[in-house]
Amino acid sequence: MQVVIAEDAGLLREGLVQMLTDRGHEVCAAVGDAARLLEAVAEHRPDVAVVDIRMPPTHTDEGLRAALQLRAEHPDTGVLVFSQYIETRYASRLLEGNASGVGYLLKDRVADVAEFAAALERVASGGTALDPEVVSQLLGASRRTAGLTSLTPRERDVLALMAEGRSNAGIAAALVVSGGAVEKHVASIFAKLGLPPSEGDNRRVLAVLQYLR
Amino acid sequence: MPDLDGPDLNGADLEHNGVMGRPPGELVRVVLRAPFTRRTMREMGYALAAGLTAWMGCLLVAGLLGAGALLTVSLIGTFIGLLLLVTTLRVALRLGKLYRWTARRLLGAQVAAPAPFRPGKGVLGRVDARLRDGTAWRAVGYVVLKLPVSWLQAYAVSFWVIGAMDAVTPLWWPLFRNHPPHTRLAPVGITTPFFAELHISTWPGVLSTCLIGIAALLAAPWLLRGVTTGDVWLMRGLLGPARLEARVRDLEESRAHAVDDAAEALRRVERDLHDGAQVRLAALAMGLGMAKEKLGDDGEPVGTAQMASIRDLVEAAHQGAKEALVELRDLARGIHPPVLDAGLADALATLAARSLVPVKLSTDIRERPTPAIEAIAYFCAAELLANVAKHSGANKAEVSVVQRDDTLRLRVSDDGAGGADPASGSGLPGLIQRVRTVDGTLALDSPGGGPTVVTVDLPLRA
Repeated sequence: MQVVIAEDAGLLREGLVQMLTDRGHEVCAAVGDAARLLEAVAEHRPDVAVVDIRMPPTHTDEGLRAALQLRAEHPDTGVLVFSQYIETRYASRLLEGNASGVGYLLKDRVADVAEFAAALERVASGGTALDPEVVSQLLGASRRTAGLTSLTPRERDVLALMAEGRSNAGIAAALVVSGGAVEKHVASIFAKLGLPPSEGDNRRVLAVLQYLR
Repeated sequence: MPDLDGPDLNGADLEHNGVMGRPPGELVRVVLRAPFTRRTMREMGYALAAGLTAWMGCLLVAGLLGAGALLTVSLIGTFIGLLLLVTTLRVALRLGKLYRWTARRLLGAQVAAPAPFRPGKGVLGRVDARLRDGTAWRAVGYVVLKLPVSWLQAYAVSFWVIGAMDAVTPLWWPLFRNHPPHTRLAPVGITTPFFAELHISTWPGVLSTCLIGIAALLAAPWLLRGVTTGDVWLMRGLLGPARLEARVRDLEESRAHAVDDAAEALRRVERDLHDGAQVRLAALAMGLGMAKEKLGDDGEPVGTAQMASIRDLVEAAHQGAKEALVELRDLARGIHPPVLDAGLADALATLAARSLVPVKLSTDIRERPTPAIEAIAYFCAAELLANVAKHSGANKAEVSVVQRDDTLRLRVSDDGAGGADPASGSGLPGLIQRVRTVDGTLALDSPGGGPTVVTVDLPLRA
């Protein structure tokens, strides 16, 4: 997997490079601002770019804007945005229209190296990785709570994991239940929310997010 | 009167406070040049403009006021009378604006505009609000007083003009006196600014006229300055914002600064956390995560090479944790130094001990100020000492804090290069704002070549 990293804090940037190199990935470029990120992606055409939201010069949202531009110009490159805070508005803008090959994680997630790497790989291969925080904020912010209140607590857990971009097997592992049980929950959720059943993780995420929005 | 020295009025260095204590040669030079400086010219221009407008304004307002008042009390024309009074007040406000503008353009004197008029509701309410508008009545007062003031100004200008004419008497005298010997001529009348006419017919008379003229010319700028200063003073009192109003404006301004200051401080803390401790902790968590992964599951043997890289990771994480601790401690101390709880004297002693430039500290605080004042004094001292270390090149500095009655005076001085400029990013404007929020003052004295002395006066209670 080829990766480009854009993160202005040198300490974290070096850590990420080391971690990804350790796991056998190729880090084509590790840069500190949005302009050089766009150049590096255009040059290397990586599988995925890891993008910090707050970068110089203004330290506000240049990373997010660069990520949106990358998604428009290089649809084949996955974009994993990560930051120290989760902003629901940013998540909605990232997910607008298309939830494939996109991720939004808290920086804290780098502590669980394996999970972070798995999320990155998922985004690189066109999947989705949303931070549980994003999901819970979206769930909390949803105005159409009528359908959600009809869900059992277990089904809400499954919905949250689904929105993070996990497959049924992933959900089963996370909740320590059988795959069959997850399938049953998923079917029940779709039925309760009035969503037509469909194939593939992304469409599931899309469907869920569209419902939540 | 520093307010009269606009930026473009360099006035050939006539500031009253500067004239004394100078070498006598320079004093003579200043006195001789005074009648011809730009400042004097501007003040004469102002006096002429005032002379032109003052009597019109005074007649207009006094006439309207008299007519309005008479009609109002006459019962028959009360309504028209009231309207005339309202018109008078509005005209006075307009004239006030014109006078303020003239003073600003010609003298560079800034007279703040009063608060805008607040109209009442309904016709009666509006009339009532107009009649109760103290600002407008004060403006009426100024417009009327402006007339005698303008006479004084004209009198001062006459010193200059008549003085100049008298001073050049010897130049024209021979032209008209080339008469045949033994002719008796009538004496020539000479006007002086002292309300006395001279009749001269001989050279000694001509010379004394010349001397009187020179004296009047030399006296003119100072007379003019006195009258103008009085006029500006009157303008500040009658055309500027009322005292309470000015205080409210001042408080609004300093409150805005305080709010901005607090928001800015929070933003800085967030920024420091975001770029500092948070990054360090994330990196260290990642390092530990990687180490944990390399250790593998329970009971799994770990190779020597693997062990070495795990040790490196743990080493780096350990180092990162220690650095994060230092960073968090510095940050917390920056928010509120815990030693401040023990009193300003202890806090300043700690500060002085940490300073890069040796500091001699003296404190005399008998009554303890409130915590907010202590904090402001502390941060002022910290910022000023940081400036000393950064900009002054000083070898030693002195910090003294003295509390007398209701005032806490902090003085920070150094023996450095001096020439400190509040505009050059030294953080001084921020300090001045901070001090102002509690009605304190900050005075900077930093001549080129040093020494620099900054004096901060704070009230004891905020």
